[in-house]
Amino acid sequence: MSEFQALSEAVLKGDIKTAVAETQAAMDAGANIQDILDTGLIATMDEVGDRFSKGIIFVPQMLRSAKTMQECMKLITPLFQKGGVTSKGKVLIGTVKGDLHDIGKNLVLMMMEGAGFTITDLGVDVTPEKFAQKTQEIEPDIVAMSALLSTTMPSMPLTIEALQNAGVRDKVKIMIGGAPVTDKYAQEIKADAYASDAGSAVTKAKSLMGIS
Amino acid sequence: MKESHNPKARKKRTEYIWLNVLPDDLWLNVRRGDTLFDVLQEAGIELDADCGGLGKCGKCKVRILTSIKPPSSDEEGFLNQEEIDQGVRLACRTQINSDMVVQVGETEIGTEYVQILKSGHRPLFQLDPLVKKQFITLATHHKDEGLSDFDRIKLAMGPDYLDMTASLSCLRTLPQSMKETEAHGAAVLHEKHLLDWQGWGKLAYGYGLVFDLGTTTLVGKLIDLSDGTEVAVISRLNGQIRYGSDIISRLQYVKDNPNGLARLHNLLIGNLNRITRRLVEVGGLVTNDIFIAVAAGNTIMLHLLLGLPPDGIAEAPFAPVLSDGMTIKASDIDLQLHPEALLYTMPMKSGYIGGDLISVILASGATEQEDKIILGLDLGTNGEIFLGNRKRLMTCSAAAGPALEGARISSGMIAKDGAIEAVGFEKGNLQYRDIANIKPKGLCGSGLVDLIAVLLQLGIIDEEGLITTPRMSIAQGLAPKVINKNGVNNFLVAPAEESYDDKPIFLTQQDVRELQLAKAAVAAGIATLMDEMGIGVEDIDQVYMAGALGNYVNPHSAIRIGLIPRIDTDKITSLGNAASTGASMALLSKFYWQMANELIDFIEHIELSSRLDFNEYYVEHMDFTREEPLDVHHEEVENVMKTIAVGSVMTRDFPAMSSTMLAREIANMSRDTGHHGFPVVDEEGHLVGVVTLADLASCLRAGNADLPVGDIVTKFPLVAFPDQSLYEVLTATDEDYGRIPVVSREDEGHLLGVLRRQDIIRAYRNKLAKFVQAEA
Repeated sequence: MSEFQALSEAVLKGDIKTAVAETQAAMDAGANIQDILDTGLIATMDEVGDRFSKGIIFVPQMLRSAKTMQECMKLITPLFQKGGVTSKGKVLIGTVKGDLHDIGKNLVLMMMEGAGFTITDLGVDVTPEKFAQKTQEIEPDIVAMSALLSTTMPSMPLTIEALQNAGVRDKVKIMIGGAPVTDKYAQEIKADAYASDAGSAVTKAKSLMGIS
Repeated sequence: MKESHNPKARKKRTEYIWLNVLPDDLWLNVRRGDTLFDVLQEAGIELDADCGGLGKCGKCKVRILTSIKPPSSDEEGFLNQEEIDQGVRLACRTQINSDMVVQVGETEIGTEYVQILKSGHRPLFQLDPLVKKQFITLATHHKDEGLSDFDRIKLAMGPDYLDMTASLSCLRTLPQSMKETEAHGAAVLHEKHLLDWQGWGKLAYGYGLVFDLGTTTLVGKLIDLSDGTEVAVISRLNGQIRYGSDIISRLQYVKDNPNGLARLHNLLIGNLNRITRRLVEVGGLVTNDIFIAVAAGNTIMLHLLLGLPPDGIAEAPFAPVLSDGMTIKASDIDLQLHPEALLYTMPMKSGYIGGDLISVILASGATEQEDKIILGLDLGTNGEIFLGNRKRLMTCSAAAGPALEGARISSGMIAKDGAIEAVGFEKGNLQYRDIANIKPKGLCGSGLVDLIAVLLQLGIIDEEGLITTPRMSIAQGLAPKVINKNGVNNFLVAPAEESYDDKPIFLTQQDVRELQLAKAAVAAGIATLMDEMGIGVEDIDQVYMAGALGNYVNPHSAIRIGLIPRIDTDKITSLGNAASTGASMALLSKFYWQMANELIDFIEHIELSSRLDFNEYYVEHMDFTREEPLDVHHEEVENVMKTIAVGSVMTRDFPAMSSTMLAREIANMSRDTGHHGFPVVDEEGHLVGVVTLADLASCLRAGNADLPVGDIVTKFPLVAFPDQSLYEVLTATDEDYGRIPVVSREDEGHLLGVLRRQDIIRAYRNKLAKFVQAEA
C-alpha cells in the first residue's frame, strides 16, 4: 500500500495532474502494472466509495476522484492489452422507463468502472424490452437499474419480467437503486441486491460476483 | 365523484350498518359484526399493522367517537388509561355492531388558521371581474304589453343584451324575485348569461372566492368584487396529506388504488367546502351569495380538483390530461356555492409547470415588464423557476426534492408550531427563532437554510459541505456542538433539555448533503435559464420569491448557500402567497384571465432532464462558495475601509420599533421583515437601545411574550456617527455586531439609520471594484 501512497492521496483528492505523474513515475520505476491498478487505484476508489457512503465526501469530490482514476487508467490500459486484463465482471446499467434521471446512475457507473468492472450504459428511459434485448446480446453478469421517482419504480419488476420472458433472468444478477428504492422493495420484486449509494453499489456488485 | 356508497341511500336491512371514517368523512356501508381493521383495510385506509391484524403489534390504534365497550384483554397491554377513556382501541380487535364514527390518524389536520383582514391589499388595476352585477330599472309599461319576464330584463339592459341567455334555475325563480324587487333589480351576469336576478340590497357588488391548492396547505380567500379587497383568508392543511406528504406519493396512491382518485378528489372538495363555509361566515354571507371562484394549484392538484386522472404526469414525458384554463359549473364537482356558480381553474403549461406558477408569474408583473429582466422562484418541493419579461419568458422545473420543506432532513419538519425558522449568530452563540415561540421541535426549510449559511460563515461547514470543528476564534464557543459519531461530524442545534420532545435536534452530515442536492438543483435550473437567455447575473433586475420556502427564507442566507445567485438583496422581494394573488387578479379582471391563457403559448419551457449541460451545472453547484471573512486589520482592507463614510452606506429606512411594543409583536416583525434585530425608540423617537434575536428568544422562552420591548432592550448600545469611517466603527469593538444604530453627533438620541453587516460588505466590494477599474 505504502509504495503508492502519493498516488493514492492524489486520487482521493481528485488531483489529476499529480495522480497521472505518480502513475507514470511508478511505471517508469518498473512497478507491477497489476499492483498499480489494484493497490494504487482500485483500493483507493474503494476508500472513496466508503467516504461517500459515510457523507465525508460528496458528489463533486467523488466524480473528481473517479475522473482522476480514469485518467490514470488511460496510461496503464495499453500495457494490459498485451498481457490481458481481467475484468471483475460485465455490468449492464440504465435508468428505467419513464425516468430521465441519470446523475445517480452515472455515479454508480463511474464507481464500478473504477472498481474494475466493464460497463455497458443504456442511458435513461430504458424500456424493459431494451434491457432484455441487450442482456441477450452482451450476456452481462449484472443488470443494474436505477429509478428516482416512486412512480417509475414499477418499471423495475416489469424489466425483471421482460428478462424472465427472454429467458435470461437466471443468467444474470439484478441490482437496483435510487432515492425511493429500498431493500424491502428489492426483496419484493425479487431483485438480487439493493444499493443505497454509489459506494455501496460497488460492494454489493462484488459480493454478487463472489469477490471481496 | 361517486366513491362507492351514498350515505343518504341507507338500506333498511339491518345486517348492514354505517361506519363514518374521520377525518376524511368517508361513509362506508358495512356488514354488522365485521372487524374495523378488515373494513378499513378493504376501503384502502392504511393502518400501521406489523402483525397483519392479529392483535400482536398494537399499532392499528384508532379512536372511536361513538360509545364503545371496554377494551378486550388482548388490547389492554397496548392501551393506557387515558387512551381507553378517549375511546382509543385496536382496529383489529374491534367489531362493528352498531353505527360507528371512527377517527383514523392525526386530528391535527383539521386545524384552520383564519385571518380577517381589516385593510386588505387593494389591487391597482382596472376591475373587470369574471362575474358582474348590473343594476337595472325595468320599464313598467312592458309588463302591460305581455312581454316575457326575461325579455323585459333584456330590453332594459340595452341592445347588446338581446342575445343574453339565462340559467334555468334563475328563470324558475324569476317571477318570485321580480315580485320582490319590483322594477329595480340587479342582474348577476357571467358574460351574457344571466345567473340570478336579485334586489339592490346589501351586497352591492358581490363576492368571489379564490383557492390556492397547495400540496401541503389549502388557502381560501374571500374577495370583494366591488373594490378587489381581500375580506378574509383561511388556510388549513391539505387533508390529502394522509395519502402522502409529497405530490408524487399522492400520484402513486391514485395509480395503486382503484378508488384513489375519487377519494382524493372528494377529500379536497370536502376541505374546500369547509373553507368556503367558514369564509362566508366570516364575511357575514351565505354560500348562495357566491357566484364565482378561481382555483390555482400545481397540475396534479388541479387534476385532482377536476377529478381528472393524473397518471400521465407520473412518467416521462409527464403528459397531463388538460393544460387549458377551464370554466365549469361549481356544482359539477359538488362545490357548495350558488347552484349556478362558476369555477375557473388556472391554465397550466405542463405536468410540472402548473396553474400555481402561471399565477405567480401574473402576480410578479413579469408579463407587463418591457425592459427589466425578472427572475422568479416558487420554492417548495419542486423549484419552479421563470426568467424574462413580456418579450421572452422561460420556465423550468428543478427537482429540488423535499429537503427545502424540511423533509428527508433528520430533524426536519414543515413550517408549523415549534419549527426553528430563523437562525443567527450573536454574542458568540447561535440564536434561533421558532414558530409559536415554544421549545423547538425541529428545523423547517428557512431555518435549515439560515443554519447552514451561518455555519458556512463560521467555517464549521467547509466549501465542500463537510462539517468540521471550528478554527475561527469567533466560533470557538460552538466547538462542543460539533459531535463526532463513527468518523462523521454532526452539529448539535439544541440539546435534549432545550427541545420540545426532549430529543436532541441535530444537523447531521447527511442533512447537509440533502440540502446540497436541493440547492444545486435550483441553482443549476437558474444557470440553465440564464444561459438560454444569454444573460449574466448582473442583467437580472428583480428577483421575486414565492412558495413555502420562498416567502420566509432570508435572502442573505439563500445567497450564502448558493440557492440563488449573488444579487443585491434590495432587488429581492417576497411575493407572499403569490399563487392566490395571481388567481385573485384573474378573478377581478378578465384581462388577466386572458393573459394567463395566452401565457401558456408564450412561455418557453425548458425540460432540464433532457439537457446535457444541466447535469454539469448540477454537479458544479453542489459545492458551496468560499467566502473569506473581511479582516479589517489587513492593510488592504484597512485602506479601503478608511475611505468609506458610515453616512454614505448606512440603511436609512430601517424600521425602528417603539419601546411600548410587546416582545411577541417584535418577534412577528422579525418574522415578517426577516430582520434579526431592530433599534428601539421611545415616544419622542429617541433611541432607547437595540433588541436582537437573542434578547427576544430568551424573553419569549421565559414566558414573557407580553413584556414591552423597552424592558428587554440592550441599553446604551454601540452607536456610530455618519461622518465616521467604516474603519473607525469596525475597530471600536471586538464584538461582531449584525447592525449598529447610526445617530446624529449633535443629538445622540436622534436615530438616522442603521449600519448593517451587509452594508459594510457591499460598500467594501463596490469600492474595491472602483479601485480596480481606476487602476485598469
